[in-house]
Amino acid sequence: MTTMTTRRTQNMRRRERFWGLLFVTPIGLQVVLFCIVPIGIAVVAGFTNWNVIKGTYDFIGLDNFFEFLTDKYFWIAAGNTVFMLIPIPFYLFFGILFAIGSHRGTPGNRVFRILFFLPYISSVVALVVMWKWLFNYQYGLVNQLLAGVGIQGPDWLGDPDWIKTTIVVMIVWKMIGITSIYVLAALKNIPEVYYEAARLDGASPIRMFFQITLPMLSPAIFFLTIVGIIGSLQTFVEVQLFTSDGGRNYSAATVTYYIWQKAFVSNELGLAFATAIFFALVILGITLIQFRLSRRWVYGGE
Amino acid sequence: MARTNTTARRTGTTVSFLLMLAGGVTMVLPFLWMLSTSLKQSNLVFGPPEWIPDPVDWANYAEIWDAAPLATGLVNSTIVTVLVVVVGTFSSTMAAFAFAKLDFPHKRIIFVALLATIMIPLVVLILPQFLVYAQIGWLDTLLPLIVPGLLGNVTMIFFLRQYMLGIATELMEAAKIDGAGFFRIYWSIFLPLCKPAIAANVIIVFMATWNDYLGPLIFTSSPENSTVQLVIASLNSYYAEQTDFPLIMAASIVAVLPVVVLFTITQKYFVESFAFTGIKG
Repeated sequence: MTTMTTRRTQNMRRRERFWGLLFVTPIGLQVVLFCIVPIGIAVVAGFTNWNVIKGTYDFIGLDNFFEFLTDKYFWIAAGNTVFMLIPIPFYLFFGILFAIGSHRGTPGNRVFRILFFLPYISSVVALVVMWKWLFNYQYGLVNQLLAGVGIQGPDWLGDPDWIKTTIVVMIVWKMIGITSIYVLAALKNIPEVYYEAARLDGASPIRMFFQITLPMLSPAIFFLTIVGIIGSLQTFVEVQLFTSDGGRNYSAATVTYYIWQKAFVSNELGLAFATAIFFALVILGITLIQFRLSRRWVYGGE
Repeated sequence: MARTNTTARRTGTTVSFLLMLAGGVTMVLPFLWMLSTSLKQSNLVFGPPEWIPDPVDWANYAEIWDAAPLATGLVNSTIVTVLVVVVGTFSSTMAAFAFAKLDFPHKRIIFVALLATIMIPLVVLILPQFLVYAQIGWLDTLLPLIVPGLLGNVTMIFFLRQYMLGIATELMEAAKIDGAGFFRIYWSIFLPLCKPAIAANVIIVFMATWNDYLGPLIFTSSPENSTVQLVIASLNSYYAEQTDFPLIMAASIVAVLPVVVLFTITQKYFVESFAFTGIKG
């Protein structure tokens, strides 16, 4: 009897392992074929002077790395990439504000939630199309409205000093909805007893916000910051769509744009790979530092 | 005391309503402007702003089909999106179930490796993928947009695993005693229980696939393999120079519409499933 049960349990275990491995096989294949293999290729190719058209390559050591690190345009792109971090605090602020409004059951919050999501669910292509029209220098709605109150609006899309700002404003506008959903979900998970206890102690709403709400939101804010920084540093599609050549004086080009241009416009694949590897390491470094720092301000973080 | 509290609360609600109204208007006005422009005659958009077109002209919506291979784009996008969403959801839910509820060798390492892939910048992957596709003859076909997606989606797996962890394991033990196999447990117990979370994720994957521009831009080139986003982008660069804004706006609306409709239908699942999972991971 006992041996039979053991055998049955063992049989069950074996079947569990089999099904477990089988169930993760598709995603495992995806990671190996479309992630690990590509990274391997990228690392090797970064040390070559690969030319796609001729199909030739030689190993040239670290030359590619010296080349982009001494390229003026790479550093302009690096500066623009840092600029693309600007939206994060703004959409976090408005996202939190909207989530709190939604959480306290402001009338109409369900309708507002759909409206706030419209920009996020629309494709970047459609948004850029829309913004190019809205921010058109001569006929755009924005400059027409500004003219109505006596302000001469800038050339949002053509002026090298303004194009990045236009992109930043669009990203803030797009990201508020999704940010607020994450914050709203975190708000719903804060136990009501904390507030009841604080109210008994006579705490003011402002005090409760800073002593309870904000600390309890810190894991969500941390998550959004990490994902936001990884995403923002990779800004590319907006730049490519707003400016076909990176903008006048390369004013909007980001590092990803620089890499794309090297690979697909000027056919310097080795250089593109080297830049991409360097860029990946920088992002990894920044993410690790953030996890380090998070111990100081994220509630309940390890 | 009680009265000042209600007054304070009412003032608070009014302030928060007005703020949300201002936010909501900011979100929706650009879309209304796009819609309004799309209903105007091309030469009537250069005057002072006019919200209600006079006359309302639907001709642009008829014209866009000839101006660009929009129909081809829509068909291609539909093929890619449907395949990725339907098959990919199966792959993802199976993996999520295994990570949440089954015990198998190297489970932790595999899971951590999956999560690590999220941090890799896309550009590092997309360049070598381009070279591989060039070798195997996949360039300028829809395959690079479809095949990886069929195998699942890491974010969806992570999210659904968290959700399934919250479902009692006793259910599974009971089913095992009744002699149900693991596939049956996954199929007839866990899938139905995860419906809201799956719905929320399906719309996210649908959106990401339908709206993808980078993949089509790099992996396809000829018009007959363009997705709807590529069609709109090239329409934009072509017609913006001729300043036919109403035509471009009409095409963009057609491209955005499917996602907006789907989202409006499924949006109630969003907050619920997000709240259930939490995001402490």
